[in-house]
Amino acid sequence: MSLVLRNLQRVVPIRRVPLRKRIEVVRGVLGVQKFDLGVICVDNKHIQHLNRIYREKNVPTDVLSFPYHENLKAGEIPQPDFPEDYNLGDIILGVEYIVQEYKENEDYYDILAVTATHGLCHLLGFTHDTEAEWQKMFQKEKQVLKELNCRMGTRLQPLSRGLF
Amino acid sequence: MLPLLRCAPRALGSAVAGIRAAAPLPPLRRLLQPAPQLCARPFGLLSVRAGSERRPGLLRPRGPCGCGCGGFLILGDKAFVEFLNDEIKEEKKIQKHKSLPKMSGGWELEVNGTEAKLVRKVAGEKITVTFNINNSIPPTFSGEEEPSQEQKAEEQEPELTSTPNFVVEVIKNDGKKALVLDCHYPEDEVGQEEEEESDIFSIREVSFQSPDKSDWKDTEYTLNTDSLDWALYDHLMDFLADRGVDNTFADELVELSTALEHREYITFLEDLKSFVKSQ
Repeated sequence: MSLVLRNLQRVVPIRRVPLRKRIEVVRGVLGVQKFDLGVICVDNKHIQHLNRIYREKNVPTDVLSFPYHENLKAGEIPQPDFPEDYNLGDIILGVEYIVQEYKENEDYYDILAVTATHGLCHLLGFTHDTEAEWQKMFQKEKQVLKELNCRMGTRLQPLSRGLF
Repeated sequence: MLPLLRCAPRALGSAVAGIRAAAPLPPLRRLLQPAPQLCARPFGLLSVRAGSERRPGLLRPRGPCGCGCGGFLILGDKAFVEFLNDEIKEEKKIQKHKSLPKMSGGWELEVNGTEAKLVRKVAGEKITVTFNINNSIPPTFSGEEEPSQEQKAEEQEPELTSTPNFVVEVIKNDGKKALVLDCHYPEDEVGQEEEEESDIFSIREVSFQSPDKSDWKDTEYTLNTDSLDWALYDHLMDFLADRGVDNTFADELVELSTALEHREYITFLEDLKSFVKSQ
């Protein structure tokens, strides 16, 4: 099924092909290629607006996830009854926020991939509200990025590293 | 959830229609002629026979008549000219750009009436972007809520923005053919603030055409992005970005187009005023 990229902002130039390549690997490792997924790149203003509306936090952030299937157990792959429900939802990437946070020796698209991996784990029911939940999510992100590192020759670490 | 995936790429627009050989149209004059109908004039005009040498004076312009109808027409024109004067004055007052804004990235601008052409040469390629400002202002979204205070109505009026379809032509060094990408702005962007999920601009169609625009044909294969593989679509978007056609360019094009549209509107009003005033 489809991975749809959107770029709604002007602040950071985004090349779609390198971003798609990385997210396709992540989808493959997680075993969710048969699900639709939207990845939307936005600026600080836009993600702050969404963060305020949906999380009551009036600050920009790096990623927001909008799951199609809610209340999944951590790591549960949805089992839809209808073809149109083969959809994981949308990941909103705050690309302006991310570019402000990343270090010069890092590849920007790698950092986007790390952030998208975190968002994708949220779409699959992972959370990090408690230490136990975080442990599960951290391990999953680590597993995915290990595979991505093998394929891309990188040394990426999970976004949720050090949360607890 | 944001409804991104429910928003399939839009159906084909008509931007390319204007740049291709047009299909034969029905004669326009039919639209401009009054439909045949029985004459209801009360003054015995029907007594005029076909072929009669005597032409009725009623069909000729007359001098001022006693009832003052001629005077009424002149008064109407006078009011029209006064209205146009005020309108031109107001439009000039809100005109943002006295001269057209420059595009960044080394684009050269040529304007021919309502059509603008931006040309840039990069690494042996010639990139041309053309757009026409006619019919480029989308209808403004109007919500159901009425302004609570009358004095706020003017402040709430959204600025008119020109978002024309634009066509990108890429011609390689050999000059044998042009890759033509038909690009659009999303139609629902203006006036709607809720959860925009469309790209700032999108590619609708892609085809190869002759480098000479007058030879463009409908018979060339046209790739419709409506049902295109998204990975290929992303390559096309990156292809454009590498040639300077990205979101920043699209924003600047809106600014340029809006300024050109406004300039042409003011010129039109001035021409209209001169026409109404002329004898």
